[in-house]
Amino acid sequence: MNSSTPQTDDFVVRRSVFLGLSILLTVIGVVLMLNCYAGQALFWEDYVSISVFPLLFSQIAVGFVLALFGLFDKLRGGDPHHLMRGSWREKEDSIPLAATAIVVPVYNEDVARVSKGIANMWRSLEKTGQIEHFDFYICSDSTDADHWVEEECAWLSLCQKLNAFGKIFYRKRRHRINGKSGNVADFCRRWGKRYRYMIVLDADSIMIGSTLVRLVRAMEANPTAGIIQTQPYMVLGTSLFRRVLQFSSQIYGGLFSQGCSMAQMSSGSYWGHNAIIRVAPFMEYCGLPHLPVPDPNRRHVLSHDTVESALMRRAGYGVWIAYDEPGSYEEGPPNLSDMLTRDRRWCAGNLQHFWFLFARGIEMGSRLQIWIGLMGYLCSPLWLIFLIAGSFGAYFRARFLMLSADPEDLGAATSSHAMPLLVLTLTLLFLPRLLGILTSLPRARQFGGTFQLLFSALLENLLSFFLAPVLMMFHTFFVLLTISGWQIKWTTQNRADLGLTFTHCLRLYGWLSGLALIICPIAYAYLGGVSYWLLPILAGWFLAPFLAWLTSGRRLGMFFKSCRLFVTPEETQPPPELQGLDGDDAEELSAPPALWVQALLSPYVQAVHLSMVRQGSTGGQPVRSLIDLRERLIREGPHAINAKEKLRLLWDGETVFWLHQELWSRPGAQLHSSWISLQAECAKSRLLSDYLTAK
Amino acid sequence: MESVKPPANGNNPEAWNEAYDRLENFLQALALGDHAHVSQMALELFRRAREEYLKNPSREPATLAMEQAQKQLADWLAVNLGEEDRTPSHILATGYIALLLSQVYRTAPASFLASPLPEELRQALRETLLVAGPDLNVSSMTPRHLDYGPMLQLARQTWHRWDAKELIIAIFFWAGVYTVFYWWLSQLL
Repeated sequence: MNSSTPQTDDFVVRRSVFLGLSILLTVIGVVLMLNCYAGQALFWEDYVSISVFPLLFSQIAVGFVLALFGLFDKLRGGDPHHLMRGSWREKEDSIPLAATAIVVPVYNEDVARVSKGIANMWRSLEKTGQIEHFDFYICSDSTDADHWVEEECAWLSLCQKLNAFGKIFYRKRRHRINGKSGNVADFCRRWGKRYRYMIVLDADSIMIGSTLVRLVRAMEANPTAGIIQTQPYMVLGTSLFRRVLQFSSQIYGGLFSQGCSMAQMSSGSYWGHNAIIRVAPFMEYCGLPHLPVPDPNRRHVLSHDTVESALMRRAGYGVWIAYDEPGSYEEGPPNLSDMLTRDRRWCAGNLQHFWFLFARGIEMGSRLQIWIGLMGYLCSPLWLIFLIAGSFGAYFRARFLMLSADPEDLGAATSSHAMPLLVLTLTLLFLPRLLGILTSLPRARQFGGTFQLLFSALLENLLSFFLAPVLMMFHTFFVLLTISGWQIKWTTQNRADLGLTFTHCLRLYGWLSGLALIICPIAYAYLGGVSYWLLPILAGWFLAPFLAWLTSGRRLGMFFKSCRLFVTPEETQPPPELQGLDGDDAEELSAPPALWVQALLSPYVQAVHLSMVRQGSTGGQPVRSLIDLRERLIREGPHAINAKEKLRLLWDGETVFWLHQELWSRPGAQLHSSWISLQAECAKSRLLSDYLTAK
Repeated sequence: MESVKPPANGNNPEAWNEAYDRLENFLQALALGDHAHVSQMALELFRRAREEYLKNPSREPATLAMEQAQKQLADWLAVNLGEEDRTPSHILATGYIALLLSQVYRTAPASFLASPLPEELRQALRETLLVAGPDLNVSSMTPRHLDYGPMLQLARQTWHRWDAKELIIAIFFWAGVYTVFYWWLSQLL
C-alpha cells in the first residue's frame, strides 16, 4: 500500500511554514518574556514561570497559525489539492456507489430523538435515489432495561414506517466491552465484510443524504483515502449555553478546521463520528492496541478516534477533513456541568495519547495531532502554575525592591517589554476570533443580521473570557485525577436543555467564588497594583455559579433567540433533515413508567423482545439463581430487583416467556399487588401499537 | 366492569371477577379496535374457563381463563401461520409480531380468532418477517501490536515500578525538606 501523503513540494512547504511560523511566534514571545526580567533579581518562582511560558505560548501560536492558514485557504477559494476538490468531482454523478453501513452506536440515549434522526436521514437518502446502497445499524450498549425495550420498539416502528425491514438493523451487545470503540469493532467483526465503507455517527448525529452519497463517491474515487471526517456543526440548542456553543462553532470552528486541513492535508483528524471509514483497512490496521500500563483494567484506549486515525495513517491511508461539506450536524452539551462531564472523559482519553506520542511508526502529522490534543488539557495546570508562580514572583520582587535602598531599582520593575508581550498575546488570542467574525460577515443574514452577528460575537467573547478561568481550574482537577489513576466511566451525554438548579451550581462552583473572595484581598494586600492582573481570573471564578446557572436554562436561550442573537444558519434556513428533532416539535409518545415491564406483560413487546434475544438463548433449564429471581419478581414486584437483575431476566428468552405466562395466569393472591395495576396500565398503554401508528 | 356470576358450585365470586378482569386486560393489551368483539371474545373464553373449572375445581379461575385465551390464540395462530409443528412459545412470539406488522388487529379486528380467516388476511399474516440483523459474516479485528518506543522503556524502569502511595510520600517528604532548606537559607542570607 502506497502512502497517500501527497509528497509534493507544496505539502513540504505547508508543513514547514506551519511549524516555522508557530516556532517563530513562540520564540518572539519567549524573548519578550525574558526581556521583562532583564536587569532584575530572579527568584525561583520566576524560573518556574519562564520554564512553563514557552509551552503555554506555543499553544496560542499554533492556534493563531491554524487560523491564518484557514483564512488564507478561505481567501483563495479552497485547497486545490484537497481530496474533495479532486478531478473526480467533474464526473461525480457517474461514480457508482458501494455497500455502506451507517453505524449508530447508542448508549442509554433519548430513543425517540435517535429514531427520528435516523428516519430523517433515511428520507434524505431516499431523495438521492441511492438508498439501496445504505444500511443502518443501531448498535446498542444501553445498560438501562427501559432504554433497551424502548429501543426495540422504536426500531420495529422505524422499520415499519419507513418500510425498511432488512435495511435498518438493531443489535444489542450483551457485554459492553471497550465502550463505543468496542461497539463499532463488534459491528465490524459481525458484518464488516459485507460493506466497503461505514459511516460512523453519534447518537445525536445527523447527516444529509447528498453528503452521505458524496462521501461514498469520494472514497470510491480515492482508494488511498482511509477516513474522511466532515465538520459537524452543533444544532438544536435551546439553552443559552448550547446556543452560544453552536454559534461559536459556526463562527470560528470552520476557520480552524479549514486551517487544520490545509496544514495537515491527508494527516487530518478523526473525531469519532460524522465520518466515513474504509472498513477493510480499518479492521486490519485500526484494532486499538492495549496501553502499556501494569493495571489490566486501564489498558483500554478511552478516546479511540485520534489513535484510529494515527493507525490508519500508519497503514498508509489518508485521513482527510472535509471541512466544507454541508449537512453534518451534532448536538452540544446543554450546560457547563455537562460540558465538564464530557471534558473529564476527553481529558482522560487525551492524556492516554501520551503513549502514542513516542510510539514507533506513527506519522509526524499524527504526532502533531496527539501533541495538540494533549496540550489542550495539560495547558490548564501549566497556566495555573504560571499564575501562582508569577504572583509569588511579583510579591518577592516587590518586597525585594522595597527593602533595597536604591529607588532606581523600582523603575526596573515596570519593564517596558511587558506591554509588547501583552499586545502580542492578546493579538494571538483574539485575532483568530476576529478573523472568524470577519469571514462570517458576508453571511451575516444567516446569523440574524450584521448587528446581531457582531453583538452575539461580543457576548460570546465575554462569556468565554469569564469561563476560561473556570475551565482552567476544572481541567487542572481532571488532569490530576487522571494522573492519580482515578477511573473514568464513559457516560451518556445529556442532550436535554432542562436547566440546572442554583443549588447545584452553588454546590459545584461555589468553592470557586469562595476562593476568589479569599484571594482578592490577600492579593491586593501583598501585590498592590499588580493584583489587578488577577482580576479577570478572580471575576471568572466569582461569577462561575451564576454563569453556570444563567446559561443552563431554556428561557434565557429562547429570549436571546427571539432577539435574533446567537442565531445560526440552520435556524434561519432549517434543513428538512433537522425538522421534528427540536424538543418543541417532537411528538411525545406517552411511554408508560417501568417500560421494561412491558417486555414481560405486553404480548407484542414481549414478542419483539423474544425475537431479538432468542438467538443467544440456550433454551435449557434456568439455573437456580434465575428461578429464585423470577419468583422474587413475581412476589415482590418489579421494584424489588435491581438494574443488573432486570438485564439478566431480559437476556433470557425462556424466562421472559415464562414470566409473561405466569404474570397473566397466576391469581392475584400469588402476585405482588403492583402487577395487577401494571396489567391494567399495559392494557391502556398499547406501547408498540402506538409507536407503529404514530407518524 | 360488570360483575360475573359465580359458577354453580358456589366458588368465590371475587376470583371469577378477577379472572374476567384479567381476560379483558389481556385482550385490550392486544390493541384490538373492535370493543364489542373483545367483549364477546372475553365472554366466550370465560365460558370455556368455567367449563374447565367444573372438570377440575381445584384450579384457580384466573389461571384457567388465561390458559384458555393463550390456547385459543396459539391454536388460531398456528393454523393461520402454518406452523402447527412448533412450540406454543414460538408460535405466540411469531404470531404476535405477525399480527402487529400486518396490522390485522387494527384493520380487521372482528376477524381476530375467527375461523376460518379470510385468505387475504391469512396471507398478510404470513408475509411478515422480522430480521434484527443480516446473516453474520464473521471476521476478526484484533488489537494491533504497537511498539511504544523509548517512553515505555523509561516507564518500565521508573513509574511502573513505583507504588502510588510511596510516590506521594516521597514527594511530600522532599517538598518538606526543600521548604525547610529554603527557609534556612533565606534566614541565613
